[in-house]
Amino acid sequence: MFERFTKDAREVVQTAVEEAELGGARTVEAEHILLALLERQGSRAAFALTALGVAGAEKDSVREAVAEVRRRAGLSRADADALAGLGIDVSEIVARVEEVHGVGAMSGDRKDRGGWSGRRGFSRDAKDVLEKALRTATSHGDRHIGDEHMLLALTVRRGVSAEVLADHGVTYESVRRVLHGGGGEAKVAG
Amino acid sequence: MTEATDLAERAGDRDPRVGLRAVAALRRLLEQLEAVQVRSARNQGWSWQEIAAELGVSRQAVHKKYGRH
Repeated sequence: MFERFTKDAREVVQTAVEEAELGGARTVEAEHILLALLERQGSRAAFALTALGVAGAEKDSVREAVAEVRRRAGLSRADADALAGLGIDVSEIVARVEEVHGVGAMSGDRKDRGGWSGRRGFSRDAKDVLEKALRTATSHGDRHIGDEHMLLALTVRRGVSAEVLADHGVTYESVRRVLHGGGGEAKVAG
Repeated sequence: MTEATDLAERAGDRDPRVGLRAVAALRRLLEQLEAVQVRSARNQGWSWQEIAAELGVSRQAVHKKYGRH
């Protein structure tokens, strides 16, 4: 699969690994791919994000939203709502655990030096993003998998990244619109 | 956003989606809670055997899951 990835897409994968290392996460998660996409410049995904207003302070807003979700054990707002239906208050649980074990205890990240130093694998979710990127490219008749396909893959998967992106106006439809809307000249290069 | 609103609206009826979603979320919450508690016990010098006994699982199971972290 990787041989079909463009240089941009490969760089996203590499940056996602670095984001996981920086955050002290044990595995590369789908959210790390999202954070990596925010770092892109001059790529198709960067173009789409900028066109949809995710630039500057808005990027910080996305980063903060992702950090907040990781702090809540990686549960999206929809997850928290579902648990509230059972009478379980996720933020209350997180608050109590953090009182004893420190802020970020429920994130699964290790900030201390003794943290996980081995090679990080991709979580099932993160692998699913890469597979969906492949499928998205295929369904659009694109021969190569670019970083825009990774962005599209994040928007179609249920979960934290899609929720945070949607809150910032980035959905499958809006990304497709800015990439392909209007002129129809936006055939994926390469 | 739409998904959360959608779920909130359906919470009142018997849509299995909400219940299943809650189970999956609970599992995730449980995993993180377990990791926090196991790490804390190890930091306080507990043996794998002691931790396993409290969790009601085998020593091998808990060591395999958390031993390398």
